[in-house]
Amino acid sequence: MNSAHITSSTDEHPVVITRVADSHWHALEDDRTVGRGEATRRPDGRIFLSIDSWHDLVFDRLAGVMLADLPTPLYTVVDEADLDLTSSWERAGFTTRRREWEYVVPTDPRVTGLDSVRPPSGVTIVAAGAAKLGPLRELDRAIRDEVESTVGWQEMPAEVLPRPHGITMPDLPKYAVAAQADQYVGLARVVMITRLPRIGIIAVRAGQQRGGIARALLAHVLGSLHSAGIDTASAEVNESNAAATALFDGIGARRASSSLELIRR
Amino acid sequence: MSKTAGGIEVEGTVVECLRNATFRVELENGHKVLAHISGKIRKNYIKILPYDRVLVELSPYDLNRGRIRFRYRS
Repeated sequence: MNSAHITSSTDEHPVVITRVADSHWHALEDDRTVGRGEATRRPDGRIFLSIDSWHDLVFDRLAGVMLADLPTPLYTVVDEADLDLTSSWERAGFTTRRREWEYVVPTDPRVTGLDSVRPPSGVTIVAAGAAKLGPLRELDRAIRDEVESTVGWQEMPAEVLPRPHGITMPDLPKYAVAAQADQYVGLARVVMITRLPRIGIIAVRAGQQRGGIARALLAHVLGSLHSAGIDTASAEVNESNAAATALFDGIGARRASSSLELIRR
Repeated sequence: MSKTAGGIEVEGTVVECLRNATFRVELENGHKVLAHISGKIRKNYIKILPYDRVLVELSPYDLNRGRIRFRYRS
């Protein structure tokens, strides 16, 4: 696909913006690629943009062509500390929609104060890898339905967005679960990313929330990591999720950075 | 080292995380560059940490600057 050629210039050199594929744009200067743009449609249907360039002018030209080619609303993600990139997107008409804190979470129970935390009466924690697929899939589906009917998917991490046709395939070794009677009522997903494990999600069924299950799941997964010799983990928390920020702030987790989700309506 | 349509790509190791979302990366030849992460890495919430092995695209305008385009798994 080759369309939407636009010529502008950085200094005296002409820059040509070309849509090279359905979701890719290139900025060429003297046949050299000096900028790239990409649009990605997430499973929830939202379109996220990214632009890489070496000059503000090239960024602006790429953004202009991409915005003209794509329907709104459009989204992007920036590190809040990256002031130059954030202002580039603001020049293109994007505004902040939400902020996500990245926490560095200690795992040592003596630091977190979670050493004495036990699950509520009648609830047991099933270690990662020991959960049964059937009940875990049932819990996963139930939590997704509850999210859908409350805050909605747009507040959720990309990795837990619903798949097409409602198919969910939980990866068993990544999940610790809370069991009550003969069903699962909560889950925690931990993924090892190079040397830093990431707590991807902690979720509890709506009817069982505010009973200490999430705290017990967190105590379990952090304790397991500590036993394995890992002293820190990471977690991203939506700033507007007061219960989650209170949970992590309360165990000595440190806010290390923040991401902004920007939107152009 | 490889040369692509976008410029020179070199493997390196992240030695320091700096402010303003930049990283100091030591290339295979010992040269150190300041690098941002690519939009694609940012969009996919991929975290870059010290000691990570990465692929850096060098700026054609300033060989002391680059962009991290890929993080290797180990």
